[in-house]
Amino acid sequence: MNPLPEWFRPVSEYILREGVPETLRMAAIAVVASLVIGVVLGTLMTIRFRPLQWLIRFYVEVWRGLPILVTVLFIFWLPAFDVGRHHVQLSAYQSAALALTLWGSAQVAEATRGAVQSIPKEQHEAAAALGFGWVGRQTFVILPQALRRMVPPLVGLLVNTIQNTTIAFAIGVNEVLQAGQRQFENVTSGLTGQPVAPSYAPFLIFGYVALLFFIICFPLTRLAAYLEKRLT
Amino acid sequence: MFDRSVHVLASFEWSVIWDSQGALWGGFKHTMKAGVVGIVLAYLVGLVLGALRAHRIPILNQLAASYVELIRNTPILVQIFFLYYGLPVLGIHLDVFTVAWLSITIWGGAFMTENFRAGFEAVPQRLSEAGYALGFTRLQEFLYVTLPIGGRIALPSTINSAISVIKNTSLLLLIGYPELTYVANNIQSNTFRTFEMFTALAVYYLAIVWTLSALIRFLERRLALPEAF
Repeated sequence: MNPLPEWFRPVSEYILREGVPETLRMAAIAVVASLVIGVVLGTLMTIRFRPLQWLIRFYVEVWRGLPILVTVLFIFWLPAFDVGRHHVQLSAYQSAALALTLWGSAQVAEATRGAVQSIPKEQHEAAAALGFGWVGRQTFVILPQALRRMVPPLVGLLVNTIQNTTIAFAIGVNEVLQAGQRQFENVTSGLTGQPVAPSYAPFLIFGYVALLFFIICFPLTRLAAYLEKRLT
Repeated sequence: MFDRSVHVLASFEWSVIWDSQGALWGGFKHTMKAGVVGIVLAYLVGLVLGALRAHRIPILNQLAASYVELIRNTPILVQIFFLYYGLPVLGIHLDVFTVAWLSITIWGGAFMTENFRAGFEAVPQRLSEAGYALGFTRLQEFLYVTLPIGGRIALPSTINSAISVIKNTSLLLLIGYPELTYVANNIQSNTFRTFEMFTALAVYYLAIVWTLSALIRFLERRLALPEAF
């Protein structure tokens, strides 16, 4: 009945049970944190105060410009340090989530800046005329409109972040790709009591990993395209 | 492999960077070797497939669309692993350098296909109609009307894709291709000079990426189509 070979069942179950939740949880943490940090930085960037603009621009260009793998390795290998009385040593999982957040928040900051600046100046003036202060103006008038325009690119960011969790493979986080790799080693070593897999195992395992990502990401990219179309 | 010795962050040692300049330069050359081959081929793939898609050539259009969706919706690292570990099963054994340029070509080609398709589709209909009115064949129309104008529209976004291709070469570390990140990571794990090595590494990458982004801004100003369009 089942067209898939017997050795593949425990492999696929392991990837689904261990890898997929790890990937999705990390992506969720990184996207939410990116959103919070990015929206704040992007809004601050629209203030006409040069030193602040330069500082945020530097943050954005550095974390956007570096390959994420470089950021991941850098944070992971940094020696432990003390902040006040706290001894800080990030785990592999935390390092990867932080690196993805730095990258993601840079993307969101840039998108927010663009979206905020695309809101007509009259909106600012009208809100000011109604007696809103700067914070009130941003929170109740500008950002709600700007965020609406940002929804399609934010769905795109989610897709990219889900895919980029695979980079955490490099420091041993058990995300989908790492889970696949571990199973690949298990079934080919024959040491784990699992049925020994034939030589085409890696083809099937990595194909399966790719398929999982496709199943998660494809509907999201379609959604982003649909939202983009509806917005214009 | 993954335990880290806790040690004090001592003062910044310039000499560590100085001593590893030669090794880093070697890594840079490997990065550029794979990156340039990948970018050139990705441009070719993108131009051809982008044209097929924009002109809705039957069957080929759908095949190109499937290729783009498949690549865009799976992580490039999984694609690299698939090429490196999966293909030998089919009797296709690729060495590390081949997987290096091939994987980033396949990935970059998909993104450039979208860039060029969008550029070609942004060419106003009346311009290509004017071409046909002059008696151009479809190929001539593409070569003399759609390509120059649409290519110009697409150029900045293709350079963005090229930047991503360069950044993605760092992932080749995981199949043992001795590019920049591989070299720097090796030195830092031998010397424990994490901060110094990653600073040097960041300077290399940011120099490449920032130069190309400056090029985009320059071209955007230079190639902006006249208002009449």
